[in-house]
Amino acid sequence: MAMARDAGARARGGSRRLAFFMAVLRTHPSFALGYAIVLMVVLLAIFAPWVAPYPPETADPVAFLQPPGWPHLMGTDATGMDIFSRVIWAPRIDLSIAILGTLLSALIGTTLGALVGYYQSVRGLGRFGAGFVMRSADVLQAFPVFVFAIALVAVFGQSLQSIVLAIAFVNAPIYLRLMRTQVMSIRTMRYVEAAWLAGMPDWRIIARHIVPNAMAPVLAQLSVNIGWSVLLTAALSFIGAGVKAPTPEWGSMIAMGYQNIVTGHWWPSIFPGLALAVTVFGFSLVGSSIEVLSDPARRRRLAGRLETVRGIAP
Amino acid sequence: MTTPVLAVEGLDVEFPSYGEAPVRALHGLDLSIGEQEIVGLVGESGSGKTTLARAIMQLVPPPGRISQGSVSFEGRDLSKLDEEQLRTLRGRAMSMVIANPRSELNPLLTVGQQIGNILKYHTGCKGRELRERVIEMLKEVRIPDPERRYDAFPHELSGGMAQRVVMAIALICNPRLVISDDATSGLDVTVQAQVLELLKRLAERHRTAMLFITRDIGITAHFCDRVAIIYGGEIMEIATRARFFANPMHPYSVLLLAAFSHNPKLRSYWLKEGEAAAEARPAETGCPFAPRCVRVREHCRSVHPELRELEAGHHVRCHFPVERRA
Amino acid sequence: MRLLSYLGQRLLFVAPQLVGILFVSFLLVKLIPGDPAVLMLGPFATPDGLARLRTELGLDRTVVEQFLIYLGNVVQGDLGTSWQTTMPVTSDLAQRFPATLELVTLGLLVALAIGLPLGVAGARYKRGLLRTGADYYGLLAGALPDFWLGLVLIYVFYTMLGWAPAPLGRIDFAVIPPEPVTGALLIDSLIAGNWEAFRSAAGHLVLPVLTLGLINAGPILKMTQATTERMLDSDFSRYAELCGLPRKVVVAQALRNALPSVITIVSVLYGFLLGGAVLVEIVFSWGGAGQYAVQGVLNADLNPVLGFVLYSAVLSLFIYLIVDLLYFLIDPRTR
Repeated sequence: MAMARDAGARARGGSRRLAFFMAVLRTHPSFALGYAIVLMVVLLAIFAPWVAPYPPETADPVAFLQPPGWPHLMGTDATGMDIFSRVIWAPRIDLSIAILGTLLSALIGTTLGALVGYYQSVRGLGRFGAGFVMRSADVLQAFPVFVFAIALVAVFGQSLQSIVLAIAFVNAPIYLRLMRTQVMSIRTMRYVEAAWLAGMPDWRIIARHIVPNAMAPVLAQLSVNIGWSVLLTAALSFIGAGVKAPTPEWGSMIAMGYQNIVTGHWWPSIFPGLALAVTVFGFSLVGSSIEVLSDPARRRRLAGRLETVRGIAP
Repeated sequence: MTTPVLAVEGLDVEFPSYGEAPVRALHGLDLSIGEQEIVGLVGESGSGKTTLARAIMQLVPPPGRISQGSVSFEGRDLSKLDEEQLRTLRGRAMSMVIANPRSELNPLLTVGQQIGNILKYHTGCKGRELRERVIEMLKEVRIPDPERRYDAFPHELSGGMAQRVVMAIALICNPRLVISDDATSGLDVTVQAQVLELLKRLAERHRTAMLFITRDIGITAHFCDRVAIIYGGEIMEIATRARFFANPMHPYSVLLLAAFSHNPKLRSYWLKEGEAAAEARPAETGCPFAPRCVRVREHCRSVHPELRELEAGHHVRCHFPVERRA
Repeated sequence: MRLLSYLGQRLLFVAPQLVGILFVSFLLVKLIPGDPAVLMLGPFATPDGLARLRTELGLDRTVVEQFLIYLGNVVQGDLGTSWQTTMPVTSDLAQRFPATLELVTLGLLVALAIGLPLGVAGARYKRGLLRTGADYYGLLAGALPDFWLGLVLIYVFYTMLGWAPAPLGRIDFAVIPPEPVTGALLIDSLIAGNWEAFRSAAGHLVLPVLTLGLINAGPILKMTQATTERMLDSDFSRYAELCGLPRKVVVAQALRNALPSVITIVSVLYGFLLGGAVLVEIVFSWGGAGQYAVQGVLNADLNPVLGFVLYSAVLSLFIYLIVDLLYFLIDPRTR
């Protein structure tokens, strides 16, 4: 009985939340645009083999530098590869690297951040360790980001895994700091002190009580960060330190077409850059929508406005 | 009869409440202030005092709005003026003394600059003359060592000093009306008395009319020409000071006065039993004060009382006003 | 007085910080696979020659020893030589660092010129076309890859319209560059009174500066808008309105109170762009410091990388000092 009622309430809560979400999209059309872009890019990444009209790495030596038209919608590059097909294939690489790298950095950063935030005010070894981690983060962040990323890829050897690791390293301090401030404020809350007084071991307090309550800003950061990571991947590939040609990747495609720009063949560079920009734009829109949705004050205001304007219950 | 400095007629201010009927912060409020008259407006927090002050300045905080009634200043209906005309009135012809001026003073500008700005943008006065007039004003509000304080920053001021600065800002343009919004509430009792004394003297010297809003009914006793009591966004009683203190007729007025009394019996008689009564929101129908009134009858809960003139210049909004006992 | 003691404290922490940063870079570059000796002598080197070169370079010692030797040299003003250019790093950087500085400084000035007014306007009008435009611009500028925007500008203004000079360096080959004094071509040509060089250098600067300006206006815009809006919602702005100050004045005061945040974001961007402008430098064949460092990393050329890191760390430090001074001037509460 009780369980059935719970499930019913949860379903109602779920559908109300969905209604709220849909209402937010309606008042912020740009957010809907963001979700549409992200969805489209993800779908393209998954279904590229079926959507793309040409194989992405096969050059047609006769049809090089064909202008956009038929049958090459976006033309061909200097080696005769079909740009449209390559633009469609590219998110497979770009998104995988960016998502993996961002998740990894969030994992490293939030774990360390939770530990640092928790042990910072404890005397002895914990405090010393926390200080050491923070000073190391200071030093890492003092580096010029881009040079640092290139150096990391160079250290690990040029491969996809290395790019993922470089992205994870470069971004980890962001999550470290974010989580640390969150944990430091949550640590002083009553329920955490109660758990501590009840003799709960540290790791369980962190895992059960602190981390779940500190995750909201991390989630908002993730989407924005995936966008940045796509940019970073493309930038690394552009200077030849990332994904190597002929693997279809936006940055390396721009680099391949770079020499042709001055001779008036704009399409090999412009189209992949456009796809790159639209993708990152989509992820930033999704990021700011999460920010709005998870900010309680804005949420209330918005809910009120929606209710009066459109008669929709939050 | 000459036109009053301020005439508020039938003023309604509403705040939209999502999904429900809007909340009325002020309801059919009438109030007029004559030349050089000081009117005390007494009410507890949430009674609509500050909303009234803002509504007079035509700056009701959004999403609130004036839904009915009018505010006339020296015979001009303010709702008919455009934003620029209103701006030239605010701070110049009618100004406000605010309470607890901590975050209201710009932390990056000196005291002199902030007072001077008002004069500069309203009268075009500048240069040496501006500085002299500001220092003159600082002297007038009794700020010691005005030459030096001119260059002080807000964070260097004590609470009483900041209060004087805000008074200087309100008075520098010789306004016709000053609204003092609970201006002394944040100060120590000793400082409070000084500031009040000063405010009264300045109002006299500048021949300014004043709406003196306060929570403390005791202050109005030595200070105001007339006293008005506000509850739930409506005037409950309004009378000249002498009449009001000699013969308070509204149960709420009596409750407020009883709170000052040294007679515990009196106090407890007028205070309705139970915590809940003190927290009760003003009633929507009938008399707003009904939920807290010790003399409430069935009639009070259903019929909204009108403001009636029970003796010359003494208006009361109560079905069963308190009779003076011999 | 408080400022002086504060500056003293700051400077006290600088030295250990610099050593830390240098040590990490040192380790990092040492970890990059690739033997400089092999790279320098090429495929026909004898084992004997390689061994001699390694000893000469100190490569046979431990990493810590090598680092200490390097530090000792740095203290004496010797940053080593780059085996790629075969020049001392100090003279390489003397030429390249000003090129990057000139580019980044002008780029950020343009970014400020775009971002600041748009941000203030966006904060002032909370609804309407201007605000929507500013919001979209902020998001879009953050999404555009700068190297790609550079290419688009080159295509439009060089290839199509022919208005801009070829994206090949800082000055026309045919123009004799001015005697280097500051290293910044615009200033040097002004000092020399060489108008031809000035015009050519300015022409070459337009597109890369515009690229950096358009992109970096985004974060400046967002920061300006957010803080100015917060200041306009604050008590002192409401009070100023209550006192009948003109809207223009209220907005100007809000902006002044928002300035510290804007200065902070500009300083952060400045530090970031010293290395981050490398992509734009590559697109325009600028020959800047970022490019120099990246080439160093890609070719296991240690000294240029360390030199670049050292220079940018010192410069960032200098910028942060200026930022503190500006705070000090703007906000009396810090005095």
